[in-house]
Amino acid sequence: MKRGILALTALVWLAGCSTQPVQPWERGDLARPEMAFEPDPLLAGYRRHVEFSKEAATGGPTLGGGGCGCN
Amino acid sequence: MRVQLNMTFRTPKLSALTSAALAIPGLAHAELQTDYLYSHYAEGDLPAGNSASGSASERYTIDSHLFRVGGNLGAGDANLNLTLETMSGASPWWVQPDANGKPVQVMSGASIDEERVDIEASYGMQFGPIEPVFKAGYSSEEDYQSVNVGVEAQYTPEGGVYSASAGIGYSDDRIEPTDGGSAKYPDRIRSADKNSLTAYAGLSWIIDAQTVLQTVFSYSLHDGYLTDPYKRAYFVSVANAVPESRPDGRQSWTLSARWRHYLPALAAAVHVDYRYFQDDWEIESHTVDLSWQQRLGETWLVSPSLRWYSQSQAYFYAPYYADFREDGFASSDYRLSPFGALSARLDVRKSLDQHWEVGGGVEVYDASASYAIRPVDVENPGLVEYYSVQARVNYRF
Repeated sequence: MKRGILALTALVWLAGCSTQPVQPWERGDLARPEMAFEPDPLLAGYRRHVEFSKEAATGGPTLGGGGCGCN
Repeated sequence: MRVQLNMTFRTPKLSALTSAALAIPGLAHAELQTDYLYSHYAEGDLPAGNSASGSASERYTIDSHLFRVGGNLGAGDANLNLTLETMSGASPWWVQPDANGKPVQVMSGASIDEERVDIEASYGMQFGPIEPVFKAGYSSEEDYQSVNVGVEAQYTPEGGVYSASAGIGYSDDRIEPTDGGSAKYPDRIRSADKNSLTAYAGLSWIIDAQTVLQTVFSYSLHDGYLTDPYKRAYFVSVANAVPESRPDGRQSWTLSARWRHYLPALAAAVHVDYRYFQDDWEIESHTVDLSWQQRLGETWLVSPSLRWYSQSQAYFYAPYYADFREDGFASSDYRLSPFGALSARLDVRKSLDQHWEVGGGVEVYDASASYAIRPVDVENPGLVEYYSVQARVNYRF
């Protein structure tokens, strides 16, 4: 856990240091659908539910849905 | 079903682009769009060598129909998601030693047939740089009901290179196991409750004109009946399997990073996701997800991806037990065992015109002790392998 926090902190720090202002006219590539953090929420949500049913680890950048996933 | 509404008081070009680039799931602005996704999920047979019966056993299959409608409704955007699932097959019941002490799996005798309905709705608004989204959902199957609510928000400063996002959700669940307390299963509970609180917070940055990065911390608190009422654990001391038992509380934390990079020369985007997970059942997990999003011409999107997952075991887990633990906990559920998993996916989408889009996908998943990040002494015999195939059609008005 501590190593993870340190790694994340380093990542955040490095990201902040390397950030240069990106002008509006330079953001076309970033706005492409395939550049979204979750380009396909429907399919991603489905697969998250399957993984939630088969693995012990859950959680992350989204709120979970419902369902038992017992079997 | 998910409903999402966004009130657009102002959408300057910079904010729109920044918001699109840094959007968190469920917060994207959209015109009216309907999606349908069908998925067939099938688990591989339990191998004869892992089965207590000595013969291979069929496992679970699930057919899922997912419907989604979303778009601008008056002052905002709405999303409604409806999921209908039919599930059938047998599932792992308990693990016991064979004549040589090797753990072998006993499967549930009768075939399970269930249906699940899940409805999710969300409603989002925009107040300047802040975009809150309110969510509610209900999931029902014969033996399980779940109600969940939540709110998420994203803050994107004007002209900024970052967005902050956060969310909190609560779920209230009730389980009423089939045949609970019956003459056939007198030691199976009749009903129980549990609730879960989940929260996350994160930051997203525009690193350069082709790169964005998101880091998120999440926390979950589960309270109540967290045991699987159908599963049992085997004790050599009594030569019998009794209902499994887990702690009635669980806390977990995750740290996630998601990196996106666009390659203009190849018309492709690279996705790299990592998640670290830890809980107070002493389970530690790593997940790495790599995806390549390839545009082909104006109308095709081909996305191969590879996922690796690894977890350690819960502190009270064992394939089977020599004798009872002092704390009374016991579970042989493969989901609490140490293992790793690899899955490969290929998803394809094709725009037919400005309204219609079709697509499909396939995933193959294999769990094994050999994929775990650390050596595993004894592999659980019930580890799953499955494939799933998807077909879909989307219509945008």
